[in-house]
Amino acid sequence: MKPDLSVKIGGMTLLNPVMPASGCFGYGEEYAHYFDLAVLGAIIVKGTTASPCPGNPPPRLAETAAGLLNAIGLQNPGAASAREKISSLAKYGVPVIVNVAGHSVEDYCEVVRAMEKDLAVAAFELNISCPNVSAGGMAFGTEPGLVERLVQKIRLLTKKTLIVKLSPNVTDIVKIARAAEAGGADALSLINTLLGMAIDVRTRRPVLANLTGGLSGPAVKPVALRMVWQVTSAVNVPVIGLGGISCAQDATEFLLAGASAVAVGTANFNNPLICPQIIDGISAYLSDNSFSSLGQIIGLAKENKTEAGGECGCGKK
Amino acid sequence: MKINLMQIEKHCEVADGIRRLVLSGRLEAEPGQFVHVSVSETLDPLLRRPLSIHDCTEDKTVLLYRVCGRGTDLLSGKKPGEVLDVLGPLGNGFAVADSEEAVLVAGGIGIAPLFFLARILWRAGKKVHFFAGAKNSLELYLPEEIGKVATSVVLATDDGTAGHRGLVTEPASIALEETDAPVYCCGPPPMMREVVRLSARFKRDVFVSLEAQMACGVGACQGCVTAMRANGIDYSRICTDGPVFRGEDVFL
Repeated sequence: MKPDLSVKIGGMTLLNPVMPASGCFGYGEEYAHYFDLAVLGAIIVKGTTASPCPGNPPPRLAETAAGLLNAIGLQNPGAASAREKISSLAKYGVPVIVNVAGHSVEDYCEVVRAMEKDLAVAAFELNISCPNVSAGGMAFGTEPGLVERLVQKIRLLTKKTLIVKLSPNVTDIVKIARAAEAGGADALSLINTLLGMAIDVRTRRPVLANLTGGLSGPAVKPVALRMVWQVTSAVNVPVIGLGGISCAQDATEFLLAGASAVAVGTANFNNPLICPQIIDGISAYLSDNSFSSLGQIIGLAKENKTEAGGECGCGKK
Repeated sequence: MKINLMQIEKHCEVADGIRRLVLSGRLEAEPGQFVHVSVSETLDPLLRRPLSIHDCTEDKTVLLYRVCGRGTDLLSGKKPGEVLDVLGPLGNGFAVADSEEAVLVAGGIGIAPLFFLARILWRAGKKVHFFAGAKNSLELYLPEEIGKVATSVVLATDDGTAGHRGLVTEPASIALEETDAPVYCCGPPPMMREVVRLSARFKRDVFVSLEAQMACGVGACQGCVTAMRANGIDYSRICTDGPVFRGEDVFL
């Protein structure tokens, strides 16, 4: 018998715990040529702002060792146009999560107001962690007080599932996670990209026009996994884990660490079929190890941790 | 759907730093389209490499690329018999205009998509005026069959070791003035800028094919954009809105 992969995130029941991450899957249409999107647990669409956003000047990409720096700068067609694209995703019957971005508090509110009545939208993911815009984005996600107030404000505007996406570029992500939970978040997703940089020694200039960018890909996975472990130990809301997941084993590590679901980002670029492959891989892992449902492995590594491990993996108890 | 596992039939250097890769199997491609090729089975380097389609025949797909970094360096080590993971064909190719003649201007590795275009134009019964430039004769690659698919072929090298000494845009400008044919161009940005300028001066339609580092190659990530000359700030994706653009639409 096939194991039960379903999982609840806020008001959503996902068929399985795998979803493409925001910014790596557009509004879904590009990847619909490669596989049936109906197999996904959910779809997180591109970071959407109230008005169209042109994004940063190129170059926007720099490949690094097992990683990728990007400084897209939230290029998107704006909420009105995004709503049309999102409504065409309804036919797949998969919950659509809109990543909400903005340069001001009012920007975030405007996107949520515009989409609150849209049946095609199942949840909002508040992007308070984009490192590539000068105003807003990560600036909202690094101070617990600001995070709590922003989440409270959005909470009043929506009955949909509210997810808050956290930045790893903070001293203590647990504090930010607790603030988002206190503000009324139904779930958290982590991590967004790590702030990084690359320099071209030939031209002796920064590679990215934006100078810095967000690092993603396999290079960041251990950092993301550690943060998911810490946050899931500290909050009571479900966590969507992401950061460098490139195969079913990576995804399973996040689930074992405590994530209730996983998002797959950069890996889509190399392999457009990676999401369905990871879904199959998780299912096979459960079957092979005689688990009948996904819930049985969520956070299991915490129960199994060795004496030497300690509460946060730092050696202290 | 568009992920192809293709076996390498031939793979060799055809000019200094330029390699020709012949794959078994046909792709339904148009000139100007590209493929996104996986160069490593590990996660490092992480991204595929976008390569121009140099030719498509009944049972073969030919790619041409310049070795210019880690990814293409790894690719250059692949041997006949090995299988490559090839995503594509991707992007929009050259629009074939309804004209009797065409002027094609290639700079360096820019010859990659233009040879394929020349063959398709020639097959459609058009006169093809082909201009190819490079730094020197060692870096100049000219496919053997070019004489069969072009009415005229003019070469230029910076140092004069082959053809005209100087920029390929110099002899090309004469053809641009003399024929009212559309112009198809691929090469370094300064060269394309000059071709677009000349085309505007002589009121010719001009199409340019751009390259960029890409992540997804399918339009999802917005990583490979070029600035457009539309009102205000506007960026278009080279992978899916291009790689071929009307010359006057883009900042080069």
